Amino acid sequence: MEDVLDEIVSSEDLQKFEKVFHEQLHQGNVTHKAQFEYAWCLVRSKYPTDIRKGILLLKELFNSHPDGKRDYLFYLAIGNARIKEYNKALHYVKSFLEIEPANQQVLALERQINKRMEKEGLIGIAVASGAVLAIGGIVGLGIALASKK
Amino acid sequence: MSRCDFKIVLLGSEHVGKTSLVLRFVNCRFNADIPYQNTVGAAFCAKAMQSNGKNFNIGIWDTAGSERYEAMTKIYYRGAHAAIICYEPSSVASWKRLRHWLQELRGVEENCKVYLCGTKKDLLDGGYVCREVPEDTIASYTQGLCGHFFTSSKTGENVDELFQKIVDDCAADVQLMKNVEDMRLQLQKEEVAFKAKSKDYCFC
Ligand SMILES: Nc1nc2c(ncn2[C@@H]2O[C@H](COP(=O)(O)OP(=O)(O)OP(=O)(O)O)[C@@H](O)[C@H]2O)c(=O)[nH]1
Ligand SMILES: [Mg+2]
Repeated sequence: MEDVLDEIVSSEDLQKFEKVFHEQLHQGNVTHKAQFEYAWCLVRSKYPTDIRKGILLLKELFNSHPDGKRDYLFYLAIGNARIKEYNKALHYVKSFLEIEPANQQVLALERQINKRMEKEGLIGIAVASGAVLAIGGIVGLGIALASKK
Repeated sequence: MSRCDFKIVLLGSEHVGKTSLVLRFVNCRFNADIPYQNTVGAAFCAKAMQSNGKNFNIGIWDTAGSERYEAMTKIYYRGAHAAIICYEPSSVASWKRLRHWLQELRGVEENCKVYLCGTKKDLLDGGYVCREVPEDTIASYTQGLCGHFFTSSKTGENVDELFQKIVDDCAADVQLMKNVEDMRLQLQKEEVAFKAKSKDYCFC
């Protein structure tokens, strides 16, 4: 399903905002806006290296531009959730909720992150019980094959 | 995995009540005690609806009105089947911005169905604010668009009606429905392929 954690930036968008950022970088004067927009594209990339880069840019903004704090916290949470750093993501969610305890958008994000953690936890259990079955002697060969994959 | 059949996007200046409208529609709730909190970038919600006995999944993107996010929010207009452009009838400034929002939208999605929404009807009805956008101005502007609604997220008035009209219009659009059917088929195929693959995996 399409939602804020799955949504993926198009490469044209990423390139567009990247270009603006790099031009400003060469002139030695990067605006908060350009850095934020580029970081926002990066954390919505499908590549974890992009997301990590976006997280670094957001952290830098967070430390240098207090006015945009809630924007940066929000996308720091999203970026971390997307690379499955769920605990870090929840930490940013908490920091946001300390400022605005009833923020619906962030509470929804928190629910989504928890749901993902649960889902991935369940997958873990399914794999484990599958292994138990196999050890029960049904398909010993299967394990050998599966583990080669 | 379910994909959304119709994509609806909300736009309009900050503080006009877009988020409240979506939350009223999706959760049947309005909380006057929560102070105004501007949306960060854009928020997504989904809801199952019916039109003419058929089921549809609706995906709603609620974009932020603040100029700070403008470059970002435009990206969410892409692929929208319908758009709700909100304004406050008591604010001429928010009405004047409509043209701007409409242009931005048309620049991205030429064929998107557009609905205007005058928000916070309860405040008008209760006499807390004065109407500053005359009825005939609204009527003439709405010509050529798909409709206009006065809604209140506080009382819920006209909120379901607005979204129902959008879904009915989409469901009655032959070309649009063809695309929706194609997408559903595609998704079904993918699902079958996915299941077949995971079966293989279990048996190997
Ligand atoms: N009385 C009344 N107040 C409303 C109604 N709709 C929204 N409000 C109030 O108007 C303020 C702004 O509402 P939001 O829904 O957050 O506005 P928004 O358009 O999403 O704003 P941005 O996210 O910044 O673009 C909030 O304080 C709401 O409580 C309504 O129908 N009636
Ligand atoms: Mg909002």
